[in-house]
Amino acid sequence: MTSTHEQPAEQRESARIGLAATGLSKAFGGVRAVDDATVSFHHGKVNALIGPNGSGKTTFFNCVTGMIKPDSGTVTYDGADITGKAAHRIARAGIGRSFQLCRIFPRMTVLENVLAAVRPPSRTRLLASAHHRDDVARARELLSRVGIEHLERADARDLSYGQQKLLELAGVLMADPDTIMLDEPAGGVNPALIERIAGLVRSLNAEGKTFIVVEHNMELVMSLSDHVVVFDRGRRISEGPPSVVQNDPRVLEAYLGV
Amino acid sequence: MPSASDRTRGPGLTTLLRLAGLLVLAAAVLSFPSVAANPFILSVGVVIMSYAVLATGWNFVGGFTGYMSLGHAAYSGLGGYATALLIIESGLNPWLALCLGALLTALIAVPVGIASLRVRGASFVIVSIAFVLILQLVFQSWGEFTGGSNGLRVPRPFGPDVLRPEQHERFFYLHAAVLAIALLAWWLIDRSRFGIGLKAIREDEDKAQALGIPTFTYKLVAFVVSAFFTAIGGGLYALWFGYLDPIFQFSILIGSYMVLMSLLGGIRSLYGPLLGALVVGYSVEFFKNEYGDTQFHLVATGLLLGLVVLFMPDGVIPALAALLRRFRPQASSIREVTQAELAEQRESQESGPITQGAKR
Repeated sequence: MTSTHEQPAEQRESARIGLAATGLSKAFGGVRAVDDATVSFHHGKVNALIGPNGSGKTTFFNCVTGMIKPDSGTVTYDGADITGKAAHRIARAGIGRSFQLCRIFPRMTVLENVLAAVRPPSRTRLLASAHHRDDVARARELLSRVGIEHLERADARDLSYGQQKLLELAGVLMADPDTIMLDEPAGGVNPALIERIAGLVRSLNAEGKTFIVVEHNMELVMSLSDHVVVFDRGRRISEGPPSVVQNDPRVLEAYLGV
Repeated sequence: MPSASDRTRGPGLTTLLRLAGLLVLAAAVLSFPSVAANPFILSVGVVIMSYAVLATGWNFVGGFTGYMSLGHAAYSGLGGYATALLIIESGLNPWLALCLGALLTALIAVPVGIASLRVRGASFVIVSIAFVLILQLVFQSWGEFTGGSNGLRVPRPFGPDVLRPEQHERFFYLHAAVLAIALLAWWLIDRSRFGIGLKAIREDEDKAQALGIPTFTYKLVAFVVSAFFTAIGGGLYALWFGYLDPIFQFSILIGSYMVLMSLLGGIRSLYGPLLGALVVGYSVEFFKNEYGDTQFHLVATGLLLGLVVLFMPDGVIPALAALLRRFRPQASSIREVTQAELAEQRESQESGPITQGAKR
């Protein structure tokens, strides 16, 4: 499962399937949030997952990242079964994620927020200082990459919402995942910041990171993604390149309710 | 110390201040027995030190993970009874019994932690109370082994030639030594990778797990370490006091005191529980002395907690630290940004509180 970690970007096979779900279902009471969904995402691409409100996108995210256990179906990552595994195991397999309503550690500093994602090389190193020189250097590099390095000593709760979104992204990157799942990265942030986030996604993708992005901002989805998957009522109704999906009558029907 | 030099730009002024504070604290603690006016005052000192050990022990789980155990008397009680019974039943050396008793208690804490750390918030609090109440019933009913409601007399570790004031003094220093070890362990965890993971759990457990932190294992380790230090505190108290009664050992009150002291001092501060123990321990002894054998000391302690929660919700130490910071130059202000950064911020037109401040 860790074989993909060391792989240089230029050697990656873009056709390789990373995250895949087969027949995935999850019901809350009588509501089938995810209903027999079968989807797969290729490595090296910016994938978008779109669909009307309540179509099961976030539940799908939560099922594949181990936050909730699916009722049935399987989830694999790089061919290995990760169905129902604990969230931290899935994270360690190389999948990072952000949350819909940006989640950070409010009463820790910005720098500590990023350092919390450090994966100690061994158990004995767990008692080593959290402010290890190399870790701090990498954390600062990531903070400056997302553009909030001047805030490193502020409490995370004192940041604006947009800054918190950038901080969350820096934390996800610190764990060095191969696949990054973003749940509404553009939700509730201003247009300039959306552009900054989009730029980050593009440059990270160029370095070999795979993205799976849930997003309602269609302009962003169409300009950013290589591949779009459309959900409606908990299942995939269409997929393909942005231009194809945009004109798919099934998608229009789902969105407009025609 | 890389953590200090990374956080501060000055030549470790904070580190120097901390060291000075530590020296003053150590001097104050070590000189207490020689300045204590009489054996009674000295015995109050031992009680306060005992509370400080228990509260610091509690803070390994309460402060780091945010799991508020109201039933930590279970571990101080088990530590006390294990120490006493190991001496009585197996004839062990008292100090060996103390260490072994604490290890046994830590072992018992493993399955209890596995069961109770599955639930969060109020549910965890209730489970922790349930465990201490079960222990109280068991230790009351199992009379032939534990002495039941008649209590259990604990053999004194020092011979009869050691007089009472001398006993108090020795136990005061023993408690101080254990407290120092507990504080050192807490500090080590606080600055470590393990500690930052625990704090992440306190802040947002699901988020921490999504970042790859094995939250359950982390919580369990903190819980067992906490049980160990609490048991050492309980065992030491048993050796000093010489008598155990299930009603008092396994009472919710003792557990509540640990929580109250830690909250009062500040659960996120190293010395928070110690300061809380000083204030609460002294107040309880004072109120008991003033109002005799009534329950009024409980009312007074409750009022104290109410005042703290109202005016210093983070505890005394963070409140004082915030006060101190107001008198310092604003060197560490988050508004300190360069012109280039300001320009960039203007460009990105953020509307957050910080950038708004910086723009003006």
